[in-house]
Amino acid sequence: MSAQSAEELALAQLLVQSLNLDGIEPGAIAPDAALFGQNPGSLGLDSIDALEIALAISQKYGVELKSDDEATKKSFASLRALSAFVQQKRVGQ
Amino acid sequence: MAASTLPLITAYHPSAVLAWRADGPVTQGTFAAEALALAQQLPQGRYAINLCEDRYRFMLGLAAVCLRGQSNLLPASNAPAVVEALLQRYPESYVLNDSMAVASAGKIPARAPRIAADHVAAIAFTSGSTGEPQAHAKSWRVLMRTAQLARKVFLPDIDAVNVVATVPPQHMYGLETSVFFALAANCASHHAKPFFPADIRDALAAVPAPRLLISTPIHLRALMSSGIVLPPVQLIISATAPLTAELATQLEHALGAPVREIYGCTEAGSMASRRSCETDQWQLHPRMRISSQQDAVSISGAHLSEAITVADDVEISSARRFRLIGRNADMLKVAGKRASLSDLTQKLLAVPGVEDGILFLPDGAARPAALVVAPSLAESEILRALAPQVDAVFLPRPLRKVAQLPRNELGKLPYARLMELLAS
Repeated sequence: MSAQSAEELALAQLLVQSLNLDGIEPGAIAPDAALFGQNPGSLGLDSIDALEIALAISQKYGVELKSDDEATKKSFASLRALSAFVQQKRVGQ
Repeated sequence: MAASTLPLITAYHPSAVLAWRADGPVTQGTFAAEALALAQQLPQGRYAINLCEDRYRFMLGLAAVCLRGQSNLLPASNAPAVVEALLQRYPESYVLNDSMAVASAGKIPARAPRIAADHVAAIAFTSGSTGEPQAHAKSWRVLMRTAQLARKVFLPDIDAVNVVATVPPQHMYGLETSVFFALAANCASHHAKPFFPADIRDALAAVPAPRLLISTPIHLRALMSSGIVLPPVQLIISATAPLTAELATQLEHALGAPVREIYGCTEAGSMASRRSCETDQWQLHPRMRISSQQDAVSISGAHLSEAITVADDVEISSARRFRLIGRNADMLKVAGKRASLSDLTQKLLAVPGVEDGILFLPDGAARPAALVVAPSLAESEILRALAPQVDAVFLPRPLRKVAQLPRNELGKLPYARLMELLAS
């Protein structure tokens, strides 16, 4: 398991806080682990969480998530992918 | 004597718009021609499990299936185990999804194709408390009439309306407002099921005014929190869960349109409505009545073949008005999906290694929590066993393992004790 970057840790803190994931330490979320689904190692998030994440990200980073956008779909794969997506969109704005 | 028939599209004008696809408007004429062509290409069988997520494809599939004399099965979830159980339960059934080939259409018919009024157009399912989902058969006539009635209540003075819906077409609420509003009541539906606030804005922007937004409290709350600017909307309709008067008021201010709530059920479709920021009283649709006999409350309507027993706790104000005191505590409704707590608990108990357990809804929570006695299993293993059978939004969170459940002397589980154990 690779270590979190500073951006990934900040995003992990936002996820834990906005989703009320009690018992999960932001620093302990593996950057490459799945966010959604029930496979081993996944954070086990679902569609309602996705809506909360979109709100939190638009409020904190000013980045808009859309479901018909392939980049958004890929970004939900892991903390690392989501963080990269947010940083890229932020720079692009 | 020939059985009576109804048109596929009421007040058919071949050039009127019926739907909005990604590539632009689709006319009623094109839709009718495509549906007739697809009907010829469908597999043999009696039932099509219509899982199409694209609303246009769903409508096309639904119409083609009916024109072919078959019936649409509309499961509450597209989880693989749910679909497999339907295929087993209904011999001669097959699955229809977005990957179906749309036949190249023939000539646009001058008149609307017709469907037998009594044809079982769709069978909707509610999760029963015993495990097997309960089937509710809908005739073409009832689906068309219910939509026409509701359309008159909500938008009596507007001729053509463009509909954007955040709910799936397989759910009774979505079926009535986004599919049958188009077929029966001169509306045109956008093909997508927008999810994020930005999706909803884009879908609304893709259709001209007047616009009708069909949604749920979860989507509307997100829309409100996002502060996103929407194109002008004529009316917003919410259903599936209670909308607070506070949120309704905020939405009306922010969007400049009235917000109406629908009270309905899978058995009957929409039955009553209210403008949520003004009143907590539900007003029944025209030609519907509510009455109570020996503690059982029922609603009847001229277009319904039988009276509907109301599962919720209600206070009747008049033959046409009532107030909800409490919702049926067993039923969970989230974002247009529904599940029964007792059914979910049965599924939990069926997991090998689970000795005892319960799912319940903590006060104010959007999703259920679970307490489980399963000494040999990890919490994540239990969730993985449930996942293929249960829609993700109903997977319990948290799911907590306990040594035993706090059953009282009657074997019941008092809510306060469950909450204590969950918090400990």
